[in-house]
Parts: sequence; C-alpha cells; structure tokens
Amino acid sequence: MAIMMPASDQAVLARRAEIIAALRAIVPGEGVIDSAAEMRAYESDGLTAYRQPPMVVVLPDTTEQVSLILKYCAEQNIKVVPRGSGTSLSGGALPLEDGVLLGLGKFKRIREIDFDNRVVVTEPGVTNLAISQAVAHAGFYYAPDPSSQIACSIGGNVAENSGGVHCLKYGMTTNNVLGCEIVLMSGEILRIGGKGCENAGYDLMGVITGSEGLLGVITEVTVRILQKPETARALMVGFAQVEAAGECVARIIGAGIIPGGMEMMDKPAIHAAEAFVHAGYPLDVEALLIIELDGPKIEVDELIARVETIANACGSTTCQISTSEAERNLFWAGRKAAFPAVGRISPDYLCMDGTIPRGALPKALARIRELGEKYQLGCANVFHAGDGNLHPLILYDANKPGEIERAEAFGADILRACVEFGGVLTGEHGVGIEKRDLMPDMFTEIDLNQQQRLKCAFDSQGLLNPGKVFPTLHRCAELGRMHVHAGKLAFPDIPRF
Amino acid sequence: MLFVLNLDTGSLVDTLKVRDAKDVEEVVRAAIANEQPLEIIGHGSKRGIGHAMATNAVLDLSALNAVTSYEPNELIVTLQAGAPLADVLALIDAKNQQFAFEPMDTAPLLGTPALGTIGGMIAAGLAGPRRIRAGGARDHLLGAHAVSGFGDSFKTGGKVVKNVTGYDLCKLLAGSWGTLSVMTEVTLKVMPKPEAERTLLLRGLDDAAANKAMTAALGSPYDVSAAAHLPKSTFRTKTEGLGDLASDGESRTMLRLEGITSSAAHRAGSLRDLLAPFGAATLIEDAPSAALWATIRDVLPFAAGGALGAWPVWRIVCPPASGAALGTQLAGETGGEVIYDWGGGLIWAALPPKADAHAPAVRARAAAVGGHAMLIRAAEDVRRDVDVFHPQAPGIAALSERVRASFDPKTVLNRGRLRRGVGA
Repeated sequence: MAIMMPASDQAVLARRAEIIAALRAIVPGEGVIDSAAEMRAYESDGLTAYRQPPMVVVLPDTTEQVSLILKYCAEQNIKVVPRGSGTSLSGGALPLEDGVLLGLGKFKRIREIDFDNRVVVTEPGVTNLAISQAVAHAGFYYAPDPSSQIACSIGGNVAENSGGVHCLKYGMTTNNVLGCEIVLMSGEILRIGGKGCENAGYDLMGVITGSEGLLGVITEVTVRILQKPETARALMVGFAQVEAAGECVARIIGAGIIPGGMEMMDKPAIHAAEAFVHAGYPLDVEALLIIELDGPKIEVDELIARVETIANACGSTTCQISTSEAERNLFWAGRKAAFPAVGRISPDYLCMDGTIPRGALPKALARIRELGEKYQLGCANVFHAGDGNLHPLILYDANKPGEIERAEAFGADILRACVEFGGVLTGEHGVGIEKRDLMPDMFTEIDLNQQQRLKCAFDSQGLLNPGKVFPTLHRCAELGRMHVHAGKLAFPDIPRF
Repeated sequence: MLFVLNLDTGSLVDTLKVRDAKDVEEVVRAAIANEQPLEIIGHGSKRGIGHAMATNAVLDLSALNAVTSYEPNELIVTLQAGAPLADVLALIDAKNQQFAFEPMDTAPLLGTPALGTIGGMIAAGLAGPRRIRAGGARDHLLGAHAVSGFGDSFKTGGKVVKNVTGYDLCKLLAGSWGTLSVMTEVTLKVMPKPEAERTLLLRGLDDAAANKAMTAALGSPYDVSAAAHLPKSTFRTKTEGLGDLASDGESRTMLRLEGITSSAAHRAGSLRDLLAPFGAATLIEDAPSAALWATIRDVLPFAAGGALGAWPVWRIVCPPASGAALGTQLAGETGGEVIYDWGGGLIWAALPPKADAHAPAVRARAAAVGGHAMLIRAAEDVRRDVDVFHPQAPGIAALSERVRASFDPKTVLNRGRLRRGVGA
C-alpha cells in the first residue's frame, strides 16, 4: 500500500475479543461480523487498489444502535470507519486494521414520501436509484445521478456530495438535500434541517454534505424531489480538434443554454466505448460531445436547433440528433459504459477526477498527452464538459512491475495540473485516501488546519474515519492553540474614519 | 483599551477601513491580543438586523471593492467582499447573467439607504423567490478567502462549479452574519438570465386555497420558478411595484415561469389549465412581471416607509405545504399581516407593535410545523429582550457554538450579533 494510514493501536487490537463481545451486546445476532472470510467483502470499496480487513464489522439497524456503538467506541478510544454501499472511488470507506467498520446497509427503508412538500425522508442505506423509483409513479425523481446510482446509497451520496451527468443543471447532492439525522462520535443524536428550504443557524447540513464520513454517521436523510422533465433529446457531435469541441461548449453556455448534460470524450475513450457497445460513435474524430436538452418538448426542440447551429459554427464534422428515446439512450450507452469499456482494452485503469475551468480544457488535454509520453502509459479522457469535471482513465497493467506506481504518479501529476490551471483536485469522487497526500498542492497548512478545527467541533478525539482527507493529523488541543501575534496595538497605516 | 477614542476624529466609534487581506489579518490579530471584539461591516446596510454588539471597533471592508475576475463563459465571478452589490449586478447584467438566487434588497424593509456589498449579501444569505428552484446564496458561493478569528487568512472551495475537495466551508460562511470569519474575496456562480418570464395571477383565493394552488403548480412538470401569495388585506395600503394590481381589493396568487420565450409561454398555458379549478388566471409578461417579483422579493408591502413601517417583521421558514395554516393562524391571533413566498415555505409576517413582538406565539407556531422564525425588523429595545434568531435545540446549539469557536475561539468577530446577551 503506497499510502500511510494512522498507526494501529495495539492496545485496541489486544482487546479485540472483548470489543466484539461488547458490540454483540449492542447489535445481536448476525449484525456483528468477525470472521476473516466474511469480512473480506468489506476490505475494500470502489478504489480496489487498496485493501485492508477491518478489526470487526458491525451492521446496526437502528439509530439507537449506531449511537451506542459510537458512544462505546468513543469511550474505549476505538476508531470507526462508516460505510454505505462501498462504491467510493477515493477509498473513503477503506477499513482500518484497528477500526470498527460501521456498515449502514440495513438502513434500507424509505420513511416518508411527502409529495405536497416535494421531499422524501429516507434511511441512508437506500440506493440513489431506489428513491427515484419510489416516486416515479407520480412523475417525480431525485435529480443527482452518479453513474453508480443502481448501487450507491443516499447516505454515501451525502457523505461524498455525489454529482452525476445532470448536476450542471440540477446541482450536486448538497443542492438537493434538506436535512438529516446524524449521530456524532460521542453517540449524540442530532436532527438538522427538515422539510423547509433553509435551516436555522449555521448551515450544518451544508458542511456535513461532502465531509466524507469524518464528521458524523448519517442515519436519515431528507431529500427534495423534482418533477421529471416532459422530454429529453440529445445531440452527438464530433469534432476534428479538441479545441473546437471546447469552443462549442463555451458558446453553448455563452448563449445562455444550460443543457441537462454535456459530456465530452476524447479519441481513445470514443474508440474503447464504440468497440464495447457499438453506439455508432464516429471513429475519425478527436472529440465527441453528447449534449442533452431536457424540458417541455417545445423548448427542447428549439434548443436542439440552437445548439446544432452553434455546433456547425464551431466546425463540427458530424452531428446526429436523437429522434427517439431508443436513439437517445444509444448515444448515452457508450458514455455510460466508458469505464468498463476502458477496462476491456487495458488490464487495469485508474480513474481520476479533477475539475478545471472549462476554458482550460485544450491545455489540460495537451498536458495529459505530454504526461502520458513521460510515464509511457495510455490515457482515455471522459469529461463532464459543462462543469469542467475531467475523468482521465489511466491505463496500466498491475502485473507489470512498476506500472501501478507510474500510473499513480501520472494521476497525481494530472491533478496537480488541474490545480495549476485554476481547478481543484476532485470534482465529485472525494479526497478519501486517493488524493489525501495531494491536499497540500491545493491548500496551505493554514487552510487545512482550519478544516481540521472544524472536524474537532464534531469529533474531538479524531476517531471517526481517521486517515482520510487530511495528510497530517493534528491533535485538537494543538489546533485550537492561539498564537498571539507580536501584540501590535496600533495600525499606523490603516485609514481611520 | 484600544479603539475607544479615535484621536483624529474625536469619534467614539473607531472605524478601520482595511485595504487588503493583510490589513484584515492585522486588525483581527490586534483584536485578539487586546480582547477587543470587532463589528464587521461592508456598507453597513444590514446593521439593524441581529442583536446589538458591545463594541465600538468597526472593521470596514468597503474599500476592498474590486472585481478580481469575471468570466461569463465559465459562469463565475470573483469579487472582493466589499464590492458594491449594485455595481456587480450591473456588471453581470451587461452579459445577460444574474445571481440565480435573487438576493433580497433589505433597504426598503429596513428603511436604510440603498446600499450593500457582496460580502453582506453572502453573510446574510437572504435569497428571493427563486430560492425554491435555484437554491440560496449557499448554493452559489463556490469559493472564498477569509480571515478567521485566529487572525489567519485561509481559503476554501475554488473557482469551478464542481468541487468536493475538503470540507465545504463556503456553506458555513453563507448566512453566518460575519460571526465565523471575515470574507475578503469570494467566487460566485452566475447563471444566464431567462429570455422571458410569464406570471400567472389567480385572484380571490384565501390562504388555504392559495397554498393548494401553489403546491399543485410546484408539483407540476412546468418548472415553476416562483410561487407567492398576497392575501387581500395586504392590499389595504398602496405598495410601490404592485401598481393598480389590487384595485379590486382581492388577494393575488402568483406563479412565475421562466425560460426561452416559446417555452415560458407554452408552460404558462399548460399551468393555467392545471390551475383552472382555482379560477381563471391572468397573464403578466416580462417587465411588469419582474417588477411584481421584486416587490415580493423585497417585501415592499411591509416597507419601512409604508403604512406598516413601524411594525416588527418576522421571516418564517417552514415546510411549504404548512404555510397557509401557520400564516392564517398567526395573522388571526395577532391582528397582523402575512405574505407567502416559496410556495408557502417562506412567510413574511408584519405584526402589530408589542414589547415582545409576539415572539412566543410566532416561535411556538413555527416550531410546531418544523419551521423557524427570525425577527428581521424590530426596534432596538425589542431586540434587547427578544431573540432575533430562532433558538435552537440544545444539541444543535452546542454543536453550532463549537463550530463557531473552531473559527473564532476568542469571539472577536461580531460578538453577540446572533445571540442575545453575549455582546453585553
């Protein structure tokens, strides 16, 4: 494992049997898993390059049990790693050798559907897609749609602030969540927000969303639901140069059009996807855009025409417009299968996730090409073009000595380039362990200390999911220390009134 | 003690007009060293909201007023916190863009000069009618540079619309009323202005029926971007922006559709059909529609210069479908007036003057439906005795205080603004 996790607490490991017995007293029956064979299912999440069996797995099914588990662990100084469906692409749910893995998989019930207030109150283990399915009969859906939506849990979506192809228009998880029940590491149960548009006081819901399981364990979520758009149509547009595709994206946005989705693929990604799903992608183009417009039919038809005009003006070499749902789904089939498609052409791949300003796309792709030559590895790029979120897929073979290290170094350089071009390390997959050690490339020590102080307000012992997000762990007492600066008393230079 | 008397001006209030983030750091560090709280202001247009602060040292950010960068094609603008809101709105309007959350102009309600800065807009986080569709200030703040109560400049977020790198401290800064950090530069998302807007007007509905009509509209596929109700009693006095709208003295329920012209018109037609059981809706287009929504956004029927100018005003947020029952009950109990926005999820209540501004009734009724209430306008002596911000459950209050202290352990930033008695 290339990444250092916090040193295991030998005193805790020595008490493993006692700890398991204590957890069994809280969660009876099959809710505590301690055999090596059964725990294998939990030793990794969607970032499969990293594996670590936990000390023990516990699967509570009530908030009270979650509270008792956390309280016990806090009192006994035991680390806890929360886990939803285990689809994190950044290692957010990677277990710790001396930690309890707290799975929320039994929280599978939708508690309330309230169409009048346009919200669903749900337990965190319910999958993203199941929420949409539960309200589909009334024409509603839950908008954020990460590509893992069949499997990923809404609790995990909140922890990671998950996005999806439609978040340019409909927002990420944070824009679609109204409230939660959360259990702090101390065992305290809190209710935040509710069915209203805004919470009173500081926006705790806002900072919990995307906190990667470091602030608390979510046991209930209130999400807002929307009416499904009347219709959706897509254009599939090919370009001979990446720059022209980038220009087309900029002009669409510049014309005041916010598509439901706007995706770009580069040549290696197009070829891999076409070979896999035969979606009819043009193979002689350098960049392919899939642009989806949704809304009332009259609006979609008019915007399709406007986008087509823009695409032509940007020198598109091919432009196909969907005329049926089947055709629209076919356009998307290749894009949605891009990751497994790349998996077919390479024994292994690393999926990166940086965001750049849209305008920096051509230079970012040029840099990725240069880096590919330097590291002697291939790379296919898929890109949420509308919001600048880039997913380079680095191709490597784990069985060839040194390739995984080269792939990781390549990926790190791509993310550093994203920051250099004015972007950020992660657009939707989270920091986790994967990008943890790159945080100093984006943030100063002061920036990171302020974030860790916030962590202390929720978890003063640092027991909840330690080793994720932050490259260096500090004690809360140390972070809270006030450095009194020089004791200057006057401001001769500052204008006074 | 520091700052008590400005020797140059003889003023008892010492205003430090900072020029850059370094100045802010220096002032905050000195405030820490001297245990001297600071009041943080931009233009000071919202100083009348919240509790009085026991300080005479003012950190004035109005000179940090530059536009750092504006990239219309990236849908972002980066601004110093003291940039005048009006100038920024004009800047982005020239590119046919807007802040989609329709920031409220508090000047008419508070009776203050028409001023305000970007920093104040975010720190107050008061979003307008489009809140239900586009989110609030918290949803549009992408990144910030700020000075914490440790006297250190830090940054959070970034300059891109999609970002999950580290904790989203922007969410905390929005709506924090300057109690966590002093924002010095912010990056905001901007959105294209809709090509057209159409407002459907229903007349004569009581609050309950109006709530039902708004719920039906917001639950429809017609992408309603605003839904408000003015009960007929709010028309007793003339309100600027409403024109002769209410000359018949009937209530008005209004629903807004925005987008490309053909689509807005089409959806207005479909929605009119859907709402037929509530009566025949009339249509208002573009500029008159915009004026109407500005009236709702800025709560002009309760303007300081109007007939109810001396009444305390509450801002109540609740589950939208509970709005009418709550508002009707409050108005009935107190003899007050209410206006509904956000499909019933936001109630503005102007209540007859009383020493406690009817706080027990307002708070109990709001809490009973899972809502919360803020006393946005009240005389200073009322605010001395009544909590302006909704009291929180003990666990949330304790966590919020730990969060606050994680940014500002010595409570030098806007001490006492959010909580009664802390500043004294």
